[in-house]
This record gives sequence, C-alpha cells and structure tokens, in this order.
Amino acid sequence: MRRIFISRGHIIGYAAFALAILVVPLFIDDPYLLNKLARYLIFGILAAALALSWGYTGILNLGQAVSFGLGSYCMAMTLKLHTIPIQTGAAGLPDFMVWNNVKSLPWFWEPFHSTAFAVVAGVAFPVVVALLLGWFVFRARVTGVYVSIITLAMLVVVNLVIVDQQRFTGGFNGLTDLADLKLFGIDFDPYSSATYYLIALSLLATLMIGELVVRSKTGLIMQAIRDDETRVRYFGYDVARYQIFAFCVSAGLSGFAGMLYAMVMAFASPTFLSVQISLSIVIWCAVGGRESLIGSALGAILVTGIQGGLSETPAFLNTWMLIMGALFVAVVLFLPKGLISIVQLGMARLAGKKISALTEDEAPLPRGHKLGIG
Amino acid sequence: MSLLELKGVEVQFSGFRALRGFDLSVAAGELRCLIGPNGAGKTTALDVICGKAQVNGGDIIFAGQNISHFEEHRIARLGIGRKFQVPSVFRELTVKENLHVAFCRRAGVFANLGISAAKANADELEKLAELVGLKESFRREAGILSHGQTQWLEIAMLVAQDAQLLLLDEPTAGMTAAETRKTAELCKQLKGRHTMLVVEHDMGFIKEIGDVISVMHQGRLLAQGTVAEIESDPEVRKAYLGSGGIRGA
Amino acid sequence: MTDLANQIITGLSIASILLLVSLGLAIIYGVMGVINLAHGDFLMLGAYAVWLMESALGLGFLPCLVMVFFIVGAIGWLVERTLIRHLYGRPLDTILATWGIGIILQQAIRLSAGAQLRYVKMPDYLVNPLHLLGLDISAYRLLIFSVTIVLVAVTYILIFHTSFGIRLRAVMQNAEIARCFGINNARIYSLTFAYGAGLAGLAGALVSPLKSVSPDMGTNYVVDAFLVVVSGGVQSLFGTVASAGIIGELSGGFAYFWNDTLARALLFFLVVVLIRFRPQGIFAMPLRRG
Repeated sequence: MRRIFISRGHIIGYAAFALAILVVPLFIDDPYLLNKLARYLIFGILAAALALSWGYTGILNLGQAVSFGLGSYCMAMTLKLHTIPIQTGAAGLPDFMVWNNVKSLPWFWEPFHSTAFAVVAGVAFPVVVALLLGWFVFRARVTGVYVSIITLAMLVVVNLVIVDQQRFTGGFNGLTDLADLKLFGIDFDPYSSATYYLIALSLLATLMIGELVVRSKTGLIMQAIRDDETRVRYFGYDVARYQIFAFCVSAGLSGFAGMLYAMVMAFASPTFLSVQISLSIVIWCAVGGRESLIGSALGAILVTGIQGGLSETPAFLNTWMLIMGALFVAVVLFLPKGLISIVQLGMARLAGKKISALTEDEAPLPRGHKLGIG
Repeated sequence: MSLLELKGVEVQFSGFRALRGFDLSVAAGELRCLIGPNGAGKTTALDVICGKAQVNGGDIIFAGQNISHFEEHRIARLGIGRKFQVPSVFRELTVKENLHVAFCRRAGVFANLGISAAKANADELEKLAELVGLKESFRREAGILSHGQTQWLEIAMLVAQDAQLLLLDEPTAGMTAAETRKTAELCKQLKGRHTMLVVEHDMGFIKEIGDVISVMHQGRLLAQGTVAEIESDPEVRKAYLGSGGIRGA
Repeated sequence: MTDLANQIITGLSIASILLLVSLGLAIIYGVMGVINLAHGDFLMLGAYAVWLMESALGLGFLPCLVMVFFIVGAIGWLVERTLIRHLYGRPLDTILATWGIGIILQQAIRLSAGAQLRYVKMPDYLVNPLHLLGLDISAYRLLIFSVTIVLVAVTYILIFHTSFGIRLRAVMQNAEIARCFGINNARIYSLTFAYGAGLAGLAGALVSPLKSVSPDMGTNYVVDAFLVVVSGGVQSLFGTVASAGIIGELSGGFAYFWNDTLARALLFFLVVVLIRFRPQGIFAMPLRRG
C-alpha cells in the first residue's frame, strides 16, 4: 500500500517540480538571474548523480568533481576552438598556447574541432575514467571509506595535473573567453532562456534516467549492495559490475553537468575540480536526502539558492562555508536521510490515516526513517 | 550419483588448519545433517562450498564441475544457496524486495535494467512469502522482523533463488520451541525439491528432519550414518567427551 | 654517487614528513575504524599555532613544538568527545562529519588569521647544513628525521610496552569483549584521537618553516598520507613505516625525473594498481575472504 501511495506522491512531486522549473523564465527578465538559476539546476544534476552512487549503492564518491571537471574541459575545449580568430591567436592556436610557446595544436586537441565529438567526449571521457578506477577498486573488493579516500586522492591528483600542464590546459586560469555553443541552429548564449531550457530539460532527463535505474531490478540490487554487499554475491550477482555500473552512470551524468556548466560560465578552470566542489556536492545530497534523487537535486538548488540569494562577496562566502560545515555536521548527526525524509514522513503519516481506517495492520511505516541513529 | 562431493579439502586461516582433508558426498535430493563439537569445522565446510573461504587443497565437485576456485557469485549461479548462522537479509529492503533480489534468473546489470522492481514476479514472490508465513509482512522492511521471521525470510530467499543445493547454517539458532517446530516443518516441505546440507546442534530437530548424519571432528569426517548409528558410535562419543555428550552439544 | 646519496636523503626526508602525517591517521583508523578527513586541518592548525606563538608571543621554535602537540591534541580530544563518539559504527558518516569539521576549522582560521600566506622563520641554529660523511645535509631535515624516529619509537612503546597499549590492543581486537573486561573504551578512543590529532599538529609545526602556511595547506599532505595508509595496510605500525619509506623514496625519485605533480600522479596510479592485487595492503596478512 505504502509503495503505491509514495509513487503517486512521487509523480505529483515530479510534475510540480518540472512545472516550477519550466515556467521560471516566463517571470524573469533579468538574464543574469536566469544564468544564476541555470547554474543551480546544474548543481541539481550533480547532486542527483551522487545520490545514485552514494545514496543507492553506498559508494561515497568524494571525487565526483573529477567527472564534472573533465566534462567541463571537454566542452570548453571545443568552444575555445570555435572562438573567432582574434581570440584564438596565431595559426588557429588558443591564446594561452601562444603565450606558452606551444607551436602547434596538440593531438588530443584536434578532434575537439568537432562539437559532436566534444559532446560525446564530455560524457564518455568521465565514464572511461570511472570505468578504469572502478575496475581496479571494485574488482579488488575495496569498499566503504577506502573508496572515499581513493576518489578524494584522485581528485587532488587530477587537479594538480591540470594546473601543472599549463601548456595544454591553461593551467591555473583554465580555458577562458569561450564561444557560445551552436547546436541545431540554436545559439546557446549563457544568458539566454534557450540555455536555461536546455539545462532545465537536462535536469529533468537526469531525474528520469535516475528513476528508471533505481526502479528497475538493477536499482533494487544496487540498494541490496548498499545494505550488505557480501550477501548479494551469494545470490549469484557479480557485485563489482553493479558497483562499476552505478559509478559510471553517476560519472557520465556529472560529466554532462560539467559540459553545461562550462557553457553557462563561459570558462572552465581547475576550480571545477576542487575539493570544495566535491564537498559541496556531498553536502547538497546530505541536506536534501541522499536516498532520494529529487531530494538531492532540491538540496542542491536550495543550498546554492540561499547562498546566492544572500550575498556573493568573498568575505561572506567564507562565513557561509563555515555555516555549511556546521550544517553538514548537524545533518550527518541528526538527519542522516536529509530534509526529504521529513517530507516523506509527513506523507506517510497522511497516508497512514487513510489506510489505517481500513486495516490497522497495513499502516505504512516510513521507509528506513531512523532519526539520529543508524 | 552424488550432487556434491568434497575430496580431501584443506582450509587454513593464518596457520590454523580448519579443514584437514575433509571428505563428504551428498546425493541429489538428500537432506544431510552435519554435526560436530565446537571448532570441528562445520561452518568452514559450508564456507568453502559457497566460496566464502578459500580452498588450500583438495577438490569440490558440484554437479560434475570442479568449483573449488570459483568466485562466490559463479557458485551461486550454478545452484548453491547459503543461509548464514547470523541471519543476513537486507534490512533496509522490504520482504518482497528481499525475495526479489534473491530471485536471480538473470544476473547481468543490463538484463535487470529492463525488469521493474515493483511489478515483476510479484505473484510468485508473494506465494513464497506465504510459504514461510510472511504474507502479512510482505511489504514491510526486513529490519523490523523478529529473529525467527528473519531466519524464515532467509530460507525463503534461498527458495526464491531456486538453488539446487541449500546450505543451512544452524537454521534454528536462537529460536523458541514453537519456531523450531515450524522450521522443521519448513525443512520437510523443501525436502525432495532441494538437496540440503544442514549444520545443526539441536538433536531433536535433527531427529525430526534428518536421514543421514555426518559427524565432523577437528576438520575431518569422523562418522556417518543414521541417528541411531551415530549415537552408539564409540568414536563419536569420544569426540564429544568434555562437551557434555552429543545430546548436550 | 653523491647525486644518488643526495637523492636518497631527499627521499628519506620526504618519507619522514609523510610518516609523521600518516602515523596519526593510521593510529586513529587502526584503533577506531575512523578515517579522519580533518587530519590535514589538524596539521594546518599545528602550523598556525607555531606561527602565532612565534610571531605574537616570541616563543622559540622547539618549545613551540612541544606546546603544539598538546594544543592540537586537546582540540582533537574535544572533537572526539563532542562529535565523533556519536558516530561509531557508521564509518561513512564519520568520514562526512570529520570532513565537515575540517571545513569548520579551515574557515575559522581563514576568518580569524586571514587567507594570505604566512611564514614561519626557521631557527638560525638549524639553517646551516651539516657536513656528514662527505655530504651536505640540511640540519633542519635532520631534525625532522630525528623527531620522526623518536615519535615512531614512542608510539611503538606506547602500543606494545605500556598498560595503556595493552588495553588499546584489546579494544582494537574486539571492542565488545574489551568492554566486558572493564576497559573504558570511550576513554581509549578519545585519548587515541587526541594522540593522532597531536601528531598531526606536530607534523604541521615541523613542515611550517619549509613551506608557507595557509588555511588549505593540509589537503595535499593528507592525500599523500591516504596513499601511505592504503598501501601500507592499516593494522600494522610496521606497514605504515615501510610504506611511508617506499612512497617517500619513490616520489623523491619520480620528482627528480619529472616534477612533484607528475610524481604524485604516477604514485597514485601505482597505488591504485597495487590495491587491485593486494587490497589488504603490501604488508598485511591475507585474511579470510568475505
């Protein structure tokens, strides 16, 4: 009984959410505000992607920003190559390469003349990286905190390499002065509503894909792995494959989010692969509810929305980060399933009243709702 | 012909020889009980069959295949199911979901993407829950079940898995007398449909369900026979000396 | 020949810093099963403590070292008492909570001491190199090296030759049973955490004159320490020492041919490949599967 009700609640929730994010541009004239909102929605994609690996499969990926950053660089590379010649420097080279005395375009930059290649690479490259790391880690049956520190180590290493390889990556400054993405005859100006709609639809598509995965039997097995991965093996499932799958889907979605982010920001820089971004993604998920895709996405939109709404001066951001740290610790301690669990509890109570009128025994229990104790 | 055959199996844990040339042969359709004093290696014997413990020597043949170095999931797919001593079910999933996970017909990630977690095989799973008396709790989380119910759920999960060979490690541990009787009933129902290898301490339970008993001692097979034969075997008496005799074990 | 010798000494000096940082992390993980992501930030606190005491109070460097150990240890103790103890048995949540604590510490420093780089002066008597066996060896690096040896020895004695150590090992083996024998687990845990934090603070104090001091300086050190802990196997002191030695020498060696960053990337790659084949670390005994 509970399941049916919750999925009905789910549908209503999703419809309301979709409507809300799709009508927003009708009421907003300020292109800067629209651009800002688009950014929040991208963070929603990132948070939902993490919920898939962390909330559903138990893989706490602290290096999610690697996928995000790689995606953003793929997009930025093609947009850089599509800038008008003045910005591209002599002989069709990107400006920073000219400054760094690079004589010809490196081979791995060549294919990025094609936008289609870049769009594919922005998803495929993070997936391949996740596949490789996942193969080593999950095949070795490394789990839990070890996965977390290995992914965090990878993030720091990749970040350092990108900063270090200035000649090819623009180093600390990253890739700046990018062209607009032009696809199917549409110019995706970062401040346009076309870009906003692209991102809003991407977020909805991400949530759709995510829901399809978690509602399939594969998703059920992922949750079983989160609960007790050893037990799953004795039912005949190759656990590592499921873990690698979740890890890769999450990486692919994050890479896609990274591409959108490079478009919206009109640059890509090593800050996209910073520990701060990774930490933020985890915080959004934790606050919203890591075992819910839409909860995580809403967590991201809520947290970044409040942050952006208050102020964006550096002094404030420092204080804000402090508050976030404290909030994060509080959520971990007292509300492990995030804010969405409060909503679900409320809905279950409502449903409980209806159903308990029929039969006392069938009253739905809130799913896994254990405040403070785990 | 025997379905499962262990030949001179050796298992070591950092120097300690848990199994020392253990031999065992179980015929298809049989319900075999495995007993022995504490530390005899009974749980290790089950562990080594299902792949939890590594074989250091000897062979394990299941349905004509040498499975001694297979990974756990491959062994499971061949048709061996395991119930653990400490009942292990997925506590955060519902009874139905637990059974659905166990109901492994296709093991691949992509094959299972197309199967709905909510709708597929719902009727069959409900029948299974009914078999072990968990119909009422079908949509409840497994974490809230009582100890006995959790044990039955795990047995039902092995049935859902449709394992040819069920390895049950102390299925009545921690159960009340009534629950033990119910478990014995359950085992009798499954007898014939599945080959079973049951580790037990409770002699009453064994007399209720078992035909042939194998006795282990210090990592080896000590004796084998009917309940009456085993009870009068001097070797067995000697092995149990100090642990209060076979009845108290 | 001297080139090679110098290279080995550079490697040893990297290794000793690495060992100082990893030691606290490994002890906390080994005893409590907690990966302390705030470890790098305890290190940063240690560096700032030295900076403050030296610049504001005019204290000498060596007395600072001793005080830093106790100051950061006390902070660690406080963190364990107020937060970490509510999270035992939830390893992923502890990692999150300690990450949050790390952020709080970092931001607190950023807001109070400022985000700009700070510098700690190396004491004059340690600036000049020493001539040993025909080699010029930095006196300061020699100090780090000796402090590391002393700390490893102290830790060894603490674990294996004191009554605290016996109780500690009992808790490591089986916390439940240790409690039944009247061992106060909570006390063991908070002292262990404090000791690990103190070690991190000391490590921060020792590296502060070598590099600039900044709020986010801990991250890089702690990532290297992860690699040490992952490859060394967590349950053995010897594993930590040996893998810090190997990783230190390797990263010194790689850096000689390329640069620090690529050396680190290569090391990361090696460690990932290593865990594929020896997930339990190089020096751990193979355990029962499952």
